[in-house]
Amino acid sequence: MTGRRWRVGVDIGGTFTDLIVADDATGAFVVGKTLTTPGDPSAAIETVLREALERLRLEAAALGTVVHGTTLVTNAVIERTGARTALLATRGFRDALEIGREQRFELYDLTIQHPRPLVPRHLRFDVPERTLADGTILEPLDTAFVERLARELAERGIEAVAVAFLNSYANPASEQAARDAIRRAAPSLRVSLSSEVAPEIREFERTSTTAVNVYVQGRVERYLRELEARLARLGFDGNLLLMLSSGGVATVDTAVRFPVRLLESGPAAGALAAANAGVASGRPDLVSFDMGGTTAKFCVIDQGKPLLAQEFEFDRVYRFQKGSGLPAKVPVIEMIEIGAGGGSIARVDALGLLKVGPDSSGADPGPACYGRGGTEPTVTDADLVLGYLDPGFFLGGRMRLDEEAARRAIETRIAQPLGISVEEAAWGIHQVVNQNMANAARVHVLERGKDPRRFPLFAFGGAGPVHGDRIARALGAPALIAPLGAGVLSTAGFLTAPLGFDFVRSWRTPLTGIDWSRADGLFRDMEADGAALLAASGVGAGALTHQRTVDMRYVGQGHEIRVPVPAGPISAASEGLIRAGFEAKYRELYGRLGPPVPIEVTNWRVASSGPAPVLDLRIEAGARPDGPARKSSRRAWFPETAGYVEVPVYDRYRLAPGDGFDGPAIVEERESTVVAGPGTRCTVDPRGNLVVTHDA
Amino acid sequence: MTLDTVALEIMWNRLLSVANEQQVTLMRTAFSTVVRETQDLACGVFDTRGSMIAQSMTGTPGHINAMATGVRHFLNAFPPATLVPGDVLITNDPWLTAGQINDMTVLSPVFRGRTVVAYFASTCHAPDIGGRLLSAEAHEVYEEGLRIPMTRLFAAGEPNEELLRILRANVRTPEETVGDLYAQAAANAVGGRGLLAFMDEFGLETIDPLADEIIGRSERALRDAIRKIPNGRYENEVWSDGFEEPIRIKVAVTIGDEDILIDFAGSSPQSRRGINVVLNYTHAYASFAIKAAVSPEVPHNEGAFRPVRVIAPEGSVLNCREPAAVASRHIIGHFLPGAIFGALAPAMPGRLMAGGAEPVWISMWRGQWPESRSPFTFTLFQCGGAGARATLDGLSATGFPSGVAGVPAEVVESLTPLIQHRRELKTDSGGPGRWRGGLGQRTQMGLRTDRGPAAEWSVSAMIDRIDHPGAGLEGGAPGGPGGFGLADGSPARAKALVVLRPDARVELDPPGGGGYGPAFEREPARVLHDVVEGYVSLEAAARDYGVVIEYLGRPDQLVRLPADYRIDQAATAARRRP
Repeated sequence: MTGRRWRVGVDIGGTFTDLIVADDATGAFVVGKTLTTPGDPSAAIETVLREALERLRLEAAALGTVVHGTTLVTNAVIERTGARTALLATRGFRDALEIGREQRFELYDLTIQHPRPLVPRHLRFDVPERTLADGTILEPLDTAFVERLARELAERGIEAVAVAFLNSYANPASEQAARDAIRRAAPSLRVSLSSEVAPEIREFERTSTTAVNVYVQGRVERYLRELEARLARLGFDGNLLLMLSSGGVATVDTAVRFPVRLLESGPAAGALAAANAGVASGRPDLVSFDMGGTTAKFCVIDQGKPLLAQEFEFDRVYRFQKGSGLPAKVPVIEMIEIGAGGGSIARVDALGLLKVGPDSSGADPGPACYGRGGTEPTVTDADLVLGYLDPGFFLGGRMRLDEEAARRAIETRIAQPLGISVEEAAWGIHQVVNQNMANAARVHVLERGKDPRRFPLFAFGGAGPVHGDRIARALGAPALIAPLGAGVLSTAGFLTAPLGFDFVRSWRTPLTGIDWSRADGLFRDMEADGAALLAASGVGAGALTHQRTVDMRYVGQGHEIRVPVPAGPISAASEGLIRAGFEAKYRELYGRLGPPVPIEVTNWRVASSGPAPVLDLRIEAGARPDGPARKSSRRAWFPETAGYVEVPVYDRYRLAPGDGFDGPAIVEERESTVVAGPGTRCTVDPRGNLVVTHDA
Repeated sequence: MTLDTVALEIMWNRLLSVANEQQVTLMRTAFSTVVRETQDLACGVFDTRGSMIAQSMTGTPGHINAMATGVRHFLNAFPPATLVPGDVLITNDPWLTAGQINDMTVLSPVFRGRTVVAYFASTCHAPDIGGRLLSAEAHEVYEEGLRIPMTRLFAAGEPNEELLRILRANVRTPEETVGDLYAQAAANAVGGRGLLAFMDEFGLETIDPLADEIIGRSERALRDAIRKIPNGRYENEVWSDGFEEPIRIKVAVTIGDEDILIDFAGSSPQSRRGINVVLNYTHAYASFAIKAAVSPEVPHNEGAFRPVRVIAPEGSVLNCREPAAVASRHIIGHFLPGAIFGALAPAMPGRLMAGGAEPVWISMWRGQWPESRSPFTFTLFQCGGAGARATLDGLSATGFPSGVAGVPAEVVESLTPLIQHRRELKTDSGGPGRWRGGLGQRTQMGLRTDRGPAAEWSVSAMIDRIDHPGAGLEGGAPGGPGGFGLADGSPARAKALVVLRPDARVELDPPGGGGYGPAFEREPARVLHDVVEGYVSLEAAARDYGVVIEYLGRPDQLVRLPADYRIDQAATAARRRP
């Protein structure tokens, strides 16, 4: 593959399929966008890729890799369009999936509902077997029963089986025996084992993860094989890789084995792109902020890397609220997502207070200003009334906005009930949604033990730069950074991800008196697995890196802290180093050490990765390098100016590094608009990012 | 202080996020499974008058609301002039706080310069507080554990070592009990840090005027909502199994123009055993019920208490006198929302829920590890089914009114030599109705005997609704009763210490919720679905719902799909004919 400089990133979203083709050697790139084709998602990829190749006068054979992110898994789960799936559980525990944590996620609302389990109860089966917490097999698996069950399942049209036995994280033997039995009896059934998909303690979460994995596996495999074939027909013979929710990429074979790791693979690319852009411009610590039509997502980028979490909740059925979704134990770039976007609806509530979101007008009818019959005022309507958006330049002029409709909606639903002017109401909507986002971001950043006042806000997505300045101020962030080409930013993230895979082994042991040879063996095993998977994807042994970490806590605590472990052989001599790492991290997070009790290790982890590709996109100042950057002016409303003032409008593509001006100012590019309020200073950094700071 | 609505909304949300930060820190640093898995806790922020302004997202209403009353007692005993930065106060006095000696309330003043500007408090259920193992068997509170009067946990940042030594010496789980107190103090401190940053950002010297505005708005919203309920006096009566005899909970709810009086006169006298409720806790669950019934969307704070007056005769089970035993007070306290909903049902048609499992099932397990013989103590929380709603089935195996979570079997088994042999939904335990009650559970616990001879062990189960299942609403049938006994068929006594042979297996089946509306009005397709899923048996479908369903498959078939069942329309019509 050496010598092939061109790489492709492609994202299938709910509405659009976005693509970037970039030349590693020169940084030149083109982007493409087309409507998603839900019936046959790979069709849209072919369309948009053909177009881009034509523009570049390239053959598909010149492409080295295609990195792909997809919402296929998320959608299959939300729309419940996966395979007919059965669950084999330890006798007495088939309801773990439905009993869940036995908790209401909302205290006062008497009408809440839990999300529907992926596997209905009539397809959940008790299997005679029992493994204990230390791995002891109390009762061996009844393989004859499993064979009989598997035959019946296959005969009745069941396609997939999740096997999740109690304590299998400690000993997978019975699950493996069950798989063997199923294969013997009904080789057509797909099987996922919880000890392979998510080998961690807590039966509900592990079972849920395993169920999703096998539930979507057939669809994912068919889709990816179809995509491979299509690309091959185009003449592509490079590497097709999939973006994982962790921000790593994996081969098609790995993605097919563990499709649950593709949940959130699109948003992961956005966070990676922000991280990459931050590192490139000398800002390795950021909070990335991606605001679209229905939701906003924040992610902490720490020292150039997005923070990772080990669990994700999908299909939240209640206002994006924690606890109202189904858990998946997968490494995932840790983001907070809230129902705040351009389409979020504003209303006056029972207390006479202004509320915005979390419900959205969606694409249809959309905000009132879309002129498609929407009558409820939305954030986009407010932004338009405030003069932040140009009714004639939305999506670069591809769509016209109806300002009168926006005013009418805000007047009748908000301004009149509150007895304030339309502009005040619009400002209220703008500010309330900003604060909702800032609050969510603040708690999220603080929960990660970080100080939001230290992190610049990096805004992208269609609406991000419109709201970023005020959110940055609410967070006390030192600056808002709006990258050039906010619309293409996400796809660029696909091209910055290293090939990588994460492994974990659960083994709880006190720090004092660890069996160090066992620990050493665990790390080596995981590293060997990582090396094998990466070798299969073409990564040479010399280019591999393994990062070891352990999860630690005081004995008796339930939450762990991730502590790095040095490479190389470990032994009793490592104990002091690991303890010091734990204590330093604990102090940083919670201010002081816990009570004087022993410390233990619970999980052992290895993250194996290949080399991170270097991507240095050369964003041309566009086709209009000359001419004044200031293209026009228009009226915009700010509370500081107590009304509308004439505000200069800059053409983003004509701003050059070193340019600077004071707010209030509006900076427009095709897919996004930066709004810098009064009291701000805007400068263009050497990378073309617009940096908005405010007076202290 | 005049605040425009937008600024108010923004500041209000900030206070909520500060309270949530407090809870996040508490759960991340807690030691006991009771706090970190079950979340038997509450967190809140209070103004200088001791009025609750905001609470964190989850937790248990009994703690939240009782803590709110408890803070006032702290302020009387420790006026701001007696406090310095770094002071942290503590008590578990049942009559001052959450009504149970296991519940630790920790309060931290927030200093801005030399002035106290707010307080953060949390209440958590300690895994052990000494005395008898948590049960209902005590006759006096003195038997139930160590009572800590209002005192300092930290003085100017230094731990009160004398107190901690006394505490450690008196409890079975010193590391967990003390570790959780450290977590509570850390959580309050993280909350305080967030509040000060917020005040700096908005240039606030005091939050009291903001509190007045927030509390005033919640109060007005609740009063507005009350105005929409027809005035009148609404009564109801429910029964708990009690300890030595059933306990009657009688309630009269009087809806005024814009306030509510809840009177528990006529309830049983205080019990000689530990199921008595202090007035604080009675008030907590009564006001929770009104909030949930009348205006769930209004933010919860001091304002939600003001329109609600709660009285119970002194010396009754809902307003017990010292030194009554109170350890299992939740058993009675958790009945109150259901009792109040039952009373209000005629006044609020279509808006409430049927009776459910009510009390969360708490069982204390004590024994020895097989090899080391070192003792273990474990508290297991389990939830039965909730009542059906006017347009929805009840939630299966989900706590109500408590907001606690269960404990994963794998967590139980990794921390103790206990084995959970079964944990499944219990068929036919949901009360029949147009909307079915939530299902209860079937669970079974044993002890590891595979690693050599095991010793005797014991369980003490604070559970209820074995004799008195949750009532249906508007014609719905009651939920299935709870069950407690040994697998060999021998009975076991609830709320008392049961000593077990090493090979004993204990069955704990939390009850189901009551139905809503007549069962014969349930859509046959829903009944069919329930049968396919095994929520309802074929026999119960015919008997309780009048829906006759045939199973068409082979008797030995393991996989039984929806296509294997068919409604016998004629037989169903005949059965359902009035």
